[in-house]
Amino acid sequence: MKKFVKLATVAAAVNLITATSAWAAEPIVIGMQAPTTGSEATYGQDMFNAISLAAEEINADGGLLGGRQIELVSGDTACDPQQSVNAASRLASQEVVGVVGGYCSGATQPTLKIYGDADIPFVIVAANSTQLIPANPGNAFMINSTGADQAKTAVDFFAGQDIDKLAIVNQGDAYSQDLADLTRDDWEKAGHTISAFEVVNKGEQDFSALVNSIRNSGAEAVFWTAYYADGGLLIRQLRQRGFQGIIAVGDGSNSPQLFDIAGRAAEGVYAFSNPTADFLPAAKTFISNYETAYDTAPGPYAPLAYDGMQLMAWAINKAGSTDADAIIQALASADGEAWLAGPISFTPQHTLARSNFVVLEGQDGKWIRYQP
Amino acid sequence: MAWYDLFLQMIVDGLVLGAFYALVALGYTMVFGVIKLLNFAHGDLYMTGAFVGFGALSLVSGVFGAGWPGIFIAMLLSMLAVGCLGVVIERVAYHPMLTAPRLSILITALAVSLVLQNAALTLTGGQYTAFRTDLGFGGFSLGNLFLSWNQIVLVTTAAVLMIALELFVSKTLYGRAMRAVAIDKDMCRMLGINVSAVIAITFFIGSGLAAAAGTMAGAYYGSIWYFMGFLIGLKAFTAAVIGGIGSITGAMLGGLILGLLESFGTHIPFIGSEWKDVFTFTILILVLVLKPTGLLGKSEVERM
Amino acid sequence: MADSTPSTPPDEERRGNAVQRFYAAFESPPRRRALHLLLLAILVVTPWLASQYMTVILTNALLYVVLCLGLNVVVGYAGLLDLGYAAFFAVGAYTIGILTQQFGINFWAAIPFALAAAALAGVIIGGPTLRLRSDYLAIVTLGFGEIVRFSARNLEITGGASGLSHIPEPTLLGWYIDSAIDFYYVFAVLAVLAYIASQRLFDSRLGRAWRYVRHDEDAAEAMGINRVAVKLAAYITGAIFGALGGIFFAVNLGAISPESFSFQQSVLILLAVVLGGMGKIPGVILGAFIVVLGPELLRDFGTLRLLVFAVLLLLIMLFRPSGIWPEKRS
Repeated sequence: MKKFVKLATVAAAVNLITATSAWAAEPIVIGMQAPTTGSEATYGQDMFNAISLAAEEINADGGLLGGRQIELVSGDTACDPQQSVNAASRLASQEVVGVVGGYCSGATQPTLKIYGDADIPFVIVAANSTQLIPANPGNAFMINSTGADQAKTAVDFFAGQDIDKLAIVNQGDAYSQDLADLTRDDWEKAGHTISAFEVVNKGEQDFSALVNSIRNSGAEAVFWTAYYADGGLLIRQLRQRGFQGIIAVGDGSNSPQLFDIAGRAAEGVYAFSNPTADFLPAAKTFISNYETAYDTAPGPYAPLAYDGMQLMAWAINKAGSTDADAIIQALASADGEAWLAGPISFTPQHTLARSNFVVLEGQDGKWIRYQP
Repeated sequence: MAWYDLFLQMIVDGLVLGAFYALVALGYTMVFGVIKLLNFAHGDLYMTGAFVGFGALSLVSGVFGAGWPGIFIAMLLSMLAVGCLGVVIERVAYHPMLTAPRLSILITALAVSLVLQNAALTLTGGQYTAFRTDLGFGGFSLGNLFLSWNQIVLVTTAAVLMIALELFVSKTLYGRAMRAVAIDKDMCRMLGINVSAVIAITFFIGSGLAAAAGTMAGAYYGSIWYFMGFLIGLKAFTAAVIGGIGSITGAMLGGLILGLLESFGTHIPFIGSEWKDVFTFTILILVLVLKPTGLLGKSEVERM
Repeated sequence: MADSTPSTPPDEERRGNAVQRFYAAFESPPRRRALHLLLLAILVVTPWLASQYMTVILTNALLYVVLCLGLNVVVGYAGLLDLGYAAFFAVGAYTIGILTQQFGINFWAAIPFALAAAALAGVIIGGPTLRLRSDYLAIVTLGFGEIVRFSARNLEITGGASGLSHIPEPTLLGWYIDSAIDFYYVFAVLAVLAYIASQRLFDSRLGRAWRYVRHDEDAAEAMGINRVAVKLAAYITGAIFGALGGIFFAVNLGAISPESFSFQQSVLILLAVVLGGMGKIPGVILGAFIVVLGPELLRDFGTLRLLVFAVLLLLIMLFRPSGIWPEKRS
């Protein structure tokens, strides 16, 4: 209930801001696209929270283009392709200057054409399937690294731990399946063994059969490629059943909330991540602001969502107008702009130019940088 | 592990999982028995039960601690609260629909499910809630077979609840009335049985069992969220049908069989665990093709 | 299952609600024809007056009209509860996706294969379930739907969890079908065809056989109706409607993934059919529009929109237990 009241006050605050700015100057309308209903709402609401936080900070600093405030409008995709198309068309007809968001790759892809036709710049925050690249009409920019980069980091890490038999577990969605497949291929190419390659369904709570299967396969390490909520359960059950080997998780599990769910079992777990969070002073402020505003820790895509909003704002200021082509040009010219999740610059295909995955380690309920 | 150790471990794990399915399936089958409704909101009562149990535990943990004693108290409170919620749902949403076409009441149940799910989503902001307890990881080994204390407590509790239900239904007056209502409501009315009260009691017990399962699952697995009832609702429905919907013993049997199927489905040679659900549903369809009323269902359940 | 008496009092049954009374005023054939022409004109003109957003969600509603009319044949006419209807939708979409994108077959040439695949799926699901009655049928169809979705997720040819993308847009006699308005008209034509087919089927000999089987299976069989063939025909008809929706859904989005064919999708279609009024064509169409447009029009409620929609659904069902526009029963 407390959280609900807070959400309501934040919404009221956003309204207030937009109401007052109506007198000052015309607001700049930015669309947010993510699932806020259905089974993926956890991640979508987290992204909306982080985007709102960034917009509030920018507005408090005097807004964009010399005093114009940002006004956010939301597009709930429910992680369903058809509903995303509806949401995107609605955002387009509300004449947004730009869109920040994009969580499920399958639901993000059909929206690319809509934003392309309506000539709206789109900063894709979380969705990172390689299938998005050829579907991009030129107005979209992906600020999350693709699975290939992370798979490489993972393989280097596991190889450095001097192990041979790796078990990989994914959740049967596009993101985690892609990362799992890429890691398997790279790992086998490096001459090692995949001892188990498993899939669980989202929302399943009991992984005991899976844990047996992994232990029985003689795996020396387990790589969980999906999100923190189910990952936390898997880590708990692996440790409960006496699995002694290395456990590592992908960037979808890189959230302080993993420690809430897995408890002590998450100690010594490794995570691959953008160099976020607890290392930059800005990130510390972000985490505490987020916790004050929403009464919960930021999720895995909160820093990226925050960066997406900041990047869009930066590009609008750089373009000096709300003209779509100027903003797209400004976005393409990003050269190492950095907020929370590392420097951003783009390849000609508008994917992140350099990936900078680092390895984190869980210690005392926090992620710290792992130094081999 | 040798193959027989793995085999035994799979049976143990399947039975633990099956105990949860059975508890939830019982509510499905009981409600179906008295008003022929597939109560699709039942999984969401499991979810509600988990959240109420979580709230109750944080209230009582000061006195009883957050170990099993505290969890039991929280579970009883949750059963009571969610049992009442079940009765309210029956009164408000299902009772006016009892004379409507059967599919309409099914759709009403779906709407109730959507309401519960989205209310929980709004209240929790979509976040997962960590269900903190003082339960340890301890247990004992029999050879290579590992059993945790938590698993033993869980299965025992589930067994006690199911035996109590079986005794209630077979030995008490209300239990007999419940069976009578399942067979012929009009006749019951003529004989002076308060059919409405029997239906209310059925909903109370069914919802209470779901809440018990929800609280125990939250405590055992350690996290709860607004969508947790969806998958288990689907599985409990499957379990109830395998056993023969309307049959209480069938629901228990169906739950255990489904748990075992899933446990073994993860280990089938040559095909990966991603085919586990295809395997389960194929077995289900085969069972129904060979025995169209489920394992223990009576053939005269139709004709409504 | 569907043969219990409706709870609406006979008085109200006769008069009906405002929409029904309005529709009843057009009972005579010339007036009915005039009404049809008027609705058709509205259908044609709308996209020129509406925003792109309205066009997109109306296109979606028209897709649902096709799917709901298809499910209505199975559930409303023949009385077979189906909780896995999205499977047929998936078979149509994936067959067209695989044939056009991976084998480079022309879209129009691929359609017959997609329809044949769906009909085959109808036989496969229909075959083993013919002995079952409603509640067991529900779980078998649900299981079948899940098997189809899991297979799409696991197989390589269906693109795994990422699904298929870059499904080419079709051309028709040099007309490149790609804009939102183009697809609106494609789905409008499909919806009109589905409407006409539903009407014809309802009045046909087969339609009467379906209703008889729904009403009393044993009596129907005693009267010489081939129960097996009649039920199979219902499944196949429903499958073809579903596949047709899926075929154009795939080319409209250009990308398909397993999320579109979940259990919730099947449930939503069933919900629309029952909400509108099972067996009654205008009711089913109304249900399709409500289920698609409802959550869209409530978007201003943000996260609460589904909660509000669910409460509205509940209220509709409580006040109109047989659906908004139920079939009259003798």
